[in-house]
Amino acid sequence: MGNPFCGDDGVGAAVLERIRAEGLFPGAELIDAGTDALSLLDRFAETGAAERLHIIIDAAKMGCEPGRVVGFAPAEARRRIVWDRLSLHGLGLAEAFALAEGLGAMPRRVVVVGVEPTEVRMDRGLSDAVAAAVPEVIRLIRAEVRADEADHTGH
Amino acid sequence: MSTRLDIKVHHLTRVEGHGDIVVNMTDGVLEKARLEIVEAPRYFEAMLKGRSFLETAIITSRICGICSLGHQMTSFKATEQALGLEVSEQTLLLRKLLVHGATMQSNVLHALFLAAPDFLKVGSVFPLVASHPDVVKAALRMKRLANDIAEVVSGRAVHPISCVPGGFTALPTAAALRELKRRLEEQMVPDLAFAAETVAALAAEIPGFTRDTEYISLRSDDDYALYDGDICSSDEGRVPVAEYRRMTNEHVVSHSTSKHCRVNRSSYMVGALARWNNNHDRLCPAALEVAGKLGLAPGCNNPFLNTIAQIVESVHCALDSVAVIDELLTRGIRDEQPHQEPTRHGTGVGATEVPRGILYHEYTYDRKGLVVAANCVIPTGQNLANIDDDMRKLVPEVLDRPEPEIAHLLEMLVRAYDPCISCSVHMLDVKFVR
Repeated sequence: MGNPFCGDDGVGAAVLERIRAEGLFPGAELIDAGTDALSLLDRFAETGAAERLHIIIDAAKMGCEPGRVVGFAPAEARRRIVWDRLSLHGLGLAEAFALAEGLGAMPRRVVVVGVEPTEVRMDRGLSDAVAAAVPEVIRLIRAEVRADEADHTGH
Repeated sequence: MSTRLDIKVHHLTRVEGHGDIVVNMTDGVLEKARLEIVEAPRYFEAMLKGRSFLETAIITSRICGICSLGHQMTSFKATEQALGLEVSEQTLLLRKLLVHGATMQSNVLHALFLAAPDFLKVGSVFPLVASHPDVVKAALRMKRLANDIAEVVSGRAVHPISCVPGGFTALPTAAALRELKRRLEEQMVPDLAFAAETVAALAAEIPGFTRDTEYISLRSDDDYALYDGDICSSDEGRVPVAEYRRMTNEHVVSHSTSKHCRVNRSSYMVGALARWNNNHDRLCPAALEVAGKLGLAPGCNNPFLNTIAQIVESVHCALDSVAVIDELLTRGIRDEQPHQEPTRHGTGVGATEVPRGILYHEYTYDRKGLVVAANCVIPTGQNLANIDDDMRKLVPEVLDRPEPEIAHLLEMLVRAYDPCISCSVHMLDVKFVR
């Protein structure tokens, strides 16, 4: 998720580009959802989606140093709904998860991979700290996929 | 009864700028009641200068990710008029289908996610998920189908790809259209009926406020005008689209970086309620039936009923989408190329109804097909003066209520207009100023 025209908010798109360029995770569906968090609900509603592993990469203000990468389940984070309710702009991940949970539409496993931004403002390109974090994001995704495969095949 | 009132509802934007509701009253005299919008200029009109006519719609559709399709359609019409590009009947039908999809999607999400919680007296859509999960699921289903209409016909749900000046670069298959028709009939129509029933049950909660207002929209002899028509004012009747500047009169005001508009009064309203008032005679019988059930009558001047008008016209859009698809299938999809050889150069004005109201794009092109000048008048901007006028009448009528209730009512009023304050994304931060 995220807007590549807002500096470090483009980290999700940058990770996706690296995955595509290097042909990583061949069995995965790669989706650039941009800033449309509500579209996650469409994804979750697709046939078979409930059973799959969903990994969401986004810039996230976590109170860490810029470039820090943290993987977490939505339930592990305390959620603050900040949507202003004037329009559908501003309906973000927290709101999308709240809706999905309320509707019983959350898939079996969702992991958010957050990357602490240096700055989110109108600008092309990632800061050095966040650009340097891309390999770490991919490493974390790889670990999540492996862990999930191990859990899943164990059942 | 309070003779002194100081209300400031402060909406911070995530990017920059803000929109505040400000009310000041001293000794029973209303000094100020208005929506103050401060957002940074985005320079779209300047950005277009020197660009090719092949790029104009791509750029202007990025004005907003929610209203993207509407901007494209309006842009194409302006370009096609300026450069003398004809469009085929098939192109018109496909564009009408796209406009119906965009209208249904936007209206449904506004009515159920933004306005319905107000009618239910809950803070947001989240409590609605617990109390009315089926309505929320229906809204999401309808959104998905509307997205799929855009994807089938224009190649992508947000920011269409295959729409170009003069036609389409790729066409949907008959099979894909048949599948859309099936889903419209089997899912969209029942879901809309369900949404209408739910809202009908809440009708008593809609504030009974009225104010005599001028309503401006498109009007057409052929259909309920969304894609095409003349300008129509409830005060003066039909006006050619070429006279749009007279029908908007954008002017600067001190309390907002957004300009205000007026024609025959100090303000006017655009959007679903304006379309209802000017064009209810063009709606299909099923839509009129829903209007009756929801208490929407011709000549309605209660802005809170804008949401009801959205549901009514969505019913029409769903059924007319089926009719449009039937016509496309009967004619057979023809492999046409878009007409992109200019036969003239000059100025063109496009006007369409996007969900929030009438949208104008005007372009002037030179002989090379490059933009010399551009002007866009956005519907939400046209409503700002009307919102102020509504607030000025509403506040004295509800002075006996507690301040939080007055503030909430004013927020409801703003929400009823379904404002899309471009892409200055807003964060709500409520403060009461004493």
